[in-house]
Amino acid sequence: MTVKRFKRVFLYFAVLLFTVFSLLPFYMMMMMGTYQNEELFTGIKLFPGNYLLQNLQTVLSVNYFQFYKNSLYIAVIAGIGGAFTSALAGFAFAKYRFRYKKTLFLIVIGTLMIPHQLGLIAFVAEMKWFGMFNTHWPLMIPPMANAFGVFWMTQFIGSSVPDEIIESCRVDGCHEFRIFLQIILPIIKPAITTIFLLLFLGSWNNYLTPLVLLNKENLYTVPLAISMLGNLYRVDYAARILALAIATVPMIILFIACSKSLLRGITEGSIKG
Amino acid sequence: MYRKLSKNIYPYLFVSPYMILFFVFALFPVVYSFILSFTKWDGFSEMTFVGAQNYLRLFSDKSFYVSLVNTLLIIIVAIPLQLGTALLLAVILKQFFTGKLQTGLKLMNFLPYITTPVAIAVMFQLLFDWQVGAVNLFLLDYGIMDEAVNWLGETWGARFVIILLVYWKYYGYQMVIIFAGLTTISREIYEAASIDGASWSQAFLKITVPLLKPVLMFLIITDFIGGFQLFDEPQLLFNQPFGGPEQSVLTIVMHYYDTAFRRFEFGYGSSIAYGLFLIIFVFSLATLKLMNRGTDQ
Repeated sequence: MTVKRFKRVFLYFAVLLFTVFSLLPFYMMMMMGTYQNEELFTGIKLFPGNYLLQNLQTVLSVNYFQFYKNSLYIAVIAGIGGAFTSALAGFAFAKYRFRYKKTLFLIVIGTLMIPHQLGLIAFVAEMKWFGMFNTHWPLMIPPMANAFGVFWMTQFIGSSVPDEIIESCRVDGCHEFRIFLQIILPIIKPAITTIFLLLFLGSWNNYLTPLVLLNKENLYTVPLAISMLGNLYRVDYAARILALAIATVPMIILFIACSKSLLRGITEGSIKG
Repeated sequence: MYRKLSKNIYPYLFVSPYMILFFVFALFPVVYSFILSFTKWDGFSEMTFVGAQNYLRLFSDKSFYVSLVNTLLIIIVAIPLQLGTALLLAVILKQFFTGKLQTGLKLMNFLPYITTPVAIAVMFQLLFDWQVGAVNLFLLDYGIMDEAVNWLGETWGARFVIILLVYWKYYGYQMVIIFAGLTTISREIYEAASIDGASWSQAFLKITVPLLKPVLMFLIITDFIGGFQLFDEPQLLFNQPFGGPEQSVLTIVMHYYDTAFRRFEFGYGSSIAYGLFLIIFVFSLATLKLMNRGTDQ
């Protein structure tokens, strides 16, 4: 009995240790942002300091929230647009018979394996032709053509929307588009939330695409701004750390709040795939 | 007649927003990059067709080989560590924790995965900083080392930091996936095993691991795919000098970025991208083959 108990305590301790390891960098970041720059050199900071407001002033001396605003509206449009186009396409793939359906669906599935960088050079050239270089369009549109979203929606609609509901609505004289809006959308709300969150997260974290497409500071997204913290705040480490905390912590809270839908999207994709 | 026609047009109408965007913004760039990989072009001046020259150059490009070896080293060290940790944590979490505590622990370990990669890189940069870094301050305070270690400035230090970062970022995510896989294994199998007198470790090795094989395979393959595409974190940590000390942490995508977007060699850059694609494809296929052979015997 005692051996068993000992084992149990040991296992609890192991899990706790890893959890601390996971959270420690975040904790250190939040603590270090509350000290004066010079103090940071003197030793490890495990408790909050008293220089938070002054650091905050330094951070906001640059128009820091502009980056936040840029990232936020890009991610929201990308998420909503992507969830909508994939739901619409998923509906067609799951509930209609039409010519070239198989071919089109195979193309979608085929691109799931392609790494993001493969077409990037040509994409940048294309954006220059379209006059979209140094705009936010190239960040908002590609998520609306996300293969994973369509694949997921097709599976979800196929398994969770009974054909009978669609048929009975048709008998009542519903327009096909109304079927989508009034019947399909309410049923697939959880799937919409999940796809929205995944696309939002992808857009919010994206670094490479804005890096090669934006070179005007007022257009920068949060990841670009973070990568430039050294330029923005020169030698002020404390301000940099606080800026970093401001960039990450609210998103972390948001994702914890939505963790159920998000985790569903991430785990189900893997277990079925 | 009208009804039939109008009904038939709808599926096309519904797939068209996605399909049009997909063809223009996803498929076209991929195809056009393939064409570009046979040219010499800087994006501004005249494009010249050079045949397979870019691919031949890839074979003799020292930086490409260096980046390939670096990337492989990171992947090969990090994957077993991540998977091992994730597997053990998932099993412990499933067996000894319940309810809110279980969910909470899962989430806390999952946080690194959803945090902006660039932010993680900056965090690690600050933690491993030579002068203000908490790691050095800790090592000095407790007398573990007499002198500050220049983690990011030395070959193996840099490699250690990037491997630690990758490990730290992914084990929680993998734990969550494996945990979901565990919930699909029925309790009765374990009960039957324990009636037969199987020990905990026997049950783990003979039941848990084999039944998790599809999930583990998925993770290994996506780890390889993701690992080969590693860019954000090393790019940020090792920008000066580019690729880290003696290019020890130059990854394939960093080399690609450097070629295409700093030297503006669009043609050669595209051939690196296709080379990377081919490597990923071969590795995924080989992993699938290898793992499947294991079960046949």
